[in-house]
Amino acid sequence: MNKSLTTASLALALGTALSLAAVNAHADDMAKSAAKEKCFGISMKAKNDCKAGAGTTCAGTSHADYQGNAWKNVPAGTCEKTASPTSPTGFGQLKEFNAKGA
Amino acid sequence: MSDGLIASMAQALRDPAQPCPAGLRESCPADPAQRFAIYRNNVQSSLIDALADTFPVCRALVGADFFIGLARAHLQACPPRSPVLMEYGAEFADFIAGYPPAASLPYLADMARLERAYVMSAHAADSVPLTSRQLQDLLSRADLLHDARFQLDPALALVRSDYAVASLWGAHQEDDVTAALAGVRPGQPETALLVRSDLVVAITAVPQSSGELIQHLIDGASLGSAASIFQARHPDFDLASALGLLIAYQSIIHVQLPGAN
Repeated sequence: MNKSLTTASLALALGTALSLAAVNAHADDMAKSAAKEKCFGISMKAKNDCKAGAGTTCAGTSHADYQGNAWKNVPAGTCEKTASPTSPTGFGQLKEFNAKGA
Repeated sequence: MSDGLIASMAQALRDPAQPCPAGLRESCPADPAQRFAIYRNNVQSSLIDALADTFPVCRALVGADFFIGLARAHLQACPPRSPVLMEYGAEFADFIAGYPPAASLPYLADMARLERAYVMSAHAADSVPLTSRQLQDLLSRADLLHDARFQLDPALALVRSDYAVASLWGAHQEDDVTAALAGVRPGQPETALLVRSDLVVAITAVPQSSGELIQHLIDGASLGSAASIFQARHPDFDLASALGLLIAYQSIIHVQLPGAN
């Protein structure tokens, strides 16, 4: 294979990949910072987003519905409007809490 | 305890059909065999629970009862080799592949491979990605790109399957799993890419061609040789979009240029 052609096409591919990423980076940052927040106390049993396998504090799954120390990623701004029967405020919270009656 | 007693205990803990090892004594008047049975039951159920924590989608696919039987058979064949519970299950996928009762669910072994890769990715070492400026600087040294070797984030992993494991896994993360599964064609081959961001592992299906390119780079191929294999095998696919995945997920942590250390 002609190595100089390969070098040119590699640089072109990397350059294209970088410019594509630059266009998307702004959207990604927005998406990351604005679109999601950690919300405690709203996830159903075994549906929390923190999972790290057996023997860890996230241990794959929460064991009760609306568990106060289990969180789920939700669209930003919606957490404290989502009903949570275990939460002292009646809604999801941005920090973990002790569930009512627990 | 003597080595012989330890070995016979380890053997008997794996299999409820084995008798209580001889030589166990109780300090209070109680039947050692009964006490041993309780201990064995606790050991076995904690290891079965550990597998269920690490392989939640596999468990959902086969149901709780089948999973317990599968986990128990696995325990007899592959007892833990490390005291770290998170590492238990390294051989689970291979065990499933050779477990005849699971043969009717052909994607179960690959799903176990994917869930195992998920946990390894979650616990992989932290790394600092190259900035876009550092990547841009590579373009000014284009003559060196052919022999450049990429070092990728240790949390990045690929699982290639003849089945739609990434989509099946994704459907099981939804609140309404049944509705989400309706849109999945399990027989569609997929390459799952695992990346970690903000301590959360994400799994996405990527084109097989991109997965192959990334795998060559992980295996230590230079960019030029990986790209040559890629273009020979997938002339219709775009090298830029395959590299774009690594840039978008900030997975490139070091580029070794020829002649540099």
